[in-house]
Amino acid sequence: MSQTTVVTAANEPSIWGGGRSPYNVSYGKMMTWFFLLSDALTFGAFLIAYGTTRFFSAVWPDANQVFKAFPFLGEHEVPLLFVSLMTFILIMSSVTMVLAVHAGHYGDKKNVAKWLLWTIIGGICFLSCQAWEWTHLHGECGALWGAFTDVNTPVEEYRHFFGHKSLAFVDAHPLVAMQSSHNFFNYFFTITGFHGGHVTSGVIFNILILVNTVNGVYERRGHYEMVEKIGLYWHFVDLVWVFVFTCFYLL
Amino acid sequence: MSAHHNNDSIQHLYEGDQSKLYSGVLQHHTDINSTESKNQVSRIWKIFWILLAITVVEVIMGMFFSHSMPKGLVNFFFLGLTILKAGYIVAVFMHLGDEFKGFIVTVLIPLVLFVWFIIAFLADGGFWLHMNSESPARQHIEAEK
Repeated sequence: MSQTTVVTAANEPSIWGGGRSPYNVSYGKMMTWFFLLSDALTFGAFLIAYGTTRFFSAVWPDANQVFKAFPFLGEHEVPLLFVSLMTFILIMSSVTMVLAVHAGHYGDKKNVAKWLLWTIIGGICFLSCQAWEWTHLHGECGALWGAFTDVNTPVEEYRHFFGHKSLAFVDAHPLVAMQSSHNFFNYFFTITGFHGGHVTSGVIFNILILVNTVNGVYERRGHYEMVEKIGLYWHFVDLVWVFVFTCFYLL
Repeated sequence: MSAHHNNDSIQHLYEGDQSKLYSGVLQHHTDINSTESKNQVSRIWKIFWILLAITVVEVIMGMFFSHSMPKGLVNFFFLGLTILKAGYIVAVFMHLGDEFKGFIVTVLIPLVLFVWFIIAFLADGGFWLHMNSESPARQHIEAEK
């Protein structure tokens, strides 16, 4: 690097002249942002592929029909209720995470540990909900990757995924509806699975930083920046869920 | 802002813990019970209630109104509310709103690619919808049944 420093009229070195961070962001935090950016593009590619497939399908399963079950309530008509609970849990765990980051700014070890623990509990609750939903869709609806490909499948097995307005079309073109059901569940399990994988790794990261916090690693280091970086990842996972929720359950 | 260092005295920081280069990283506050701290916490909870309210509105719309209103209008509402929620999460929970403007722009600009993605793939999907519903090949298959 050149030794010349750009000197302004006020004899101040340029903020890009070296020796300090122009954006006042550490290397690790900046790279966390760039990693999340690349991850956002991956999730975006998945969701846009889903959108394209849905757009060119003549008929598509109705979320209000597919997702209407709730644990211990049987097959009652409670569309969207369970996924609303999942969304609430994830938003709540995002709040506890940001409170942990806040406590970290103040070097408050006890509160960092407390809020991290709540975040881990929230993450585990969310994963349990997802496990139930997958089990339900697989067990009671016969859905999983690669399901609904056999042309001899009776129409009753996938007719109930569709809304009332689509039923006439489904009965007239059952194989088109079966193909749509196949595509719908392939995308559903891939995208919620990829998201669930992120939640799982987020929970593991949170457990690691909780152990470090309790052991006083960050206290000795003088800052809780690692909590901040894992916090960014955790919020990103919540952010992705906001889009998954809209694409699969609302639109 | 961070204190000014000359290049020699900071070399060791590049090789080890870099945090002291960045004033924003160090624990820069001491009293978690201060008014400033309490204001930040109440801001976090305010955003939580906003996010919760938006989600409740979305679910109510999805349950009761999405079948009686024009599909385009419903989708417009859902996408608008989704982007609003995403904005709150990124700006407040991820503290992007508190970063320098240059950094905010650096993070957000690549996302403009999504505009092109969506246009390109909707066009592609439109083509396939046409092929699936009106193409001679499809009519040939239907006729053979």
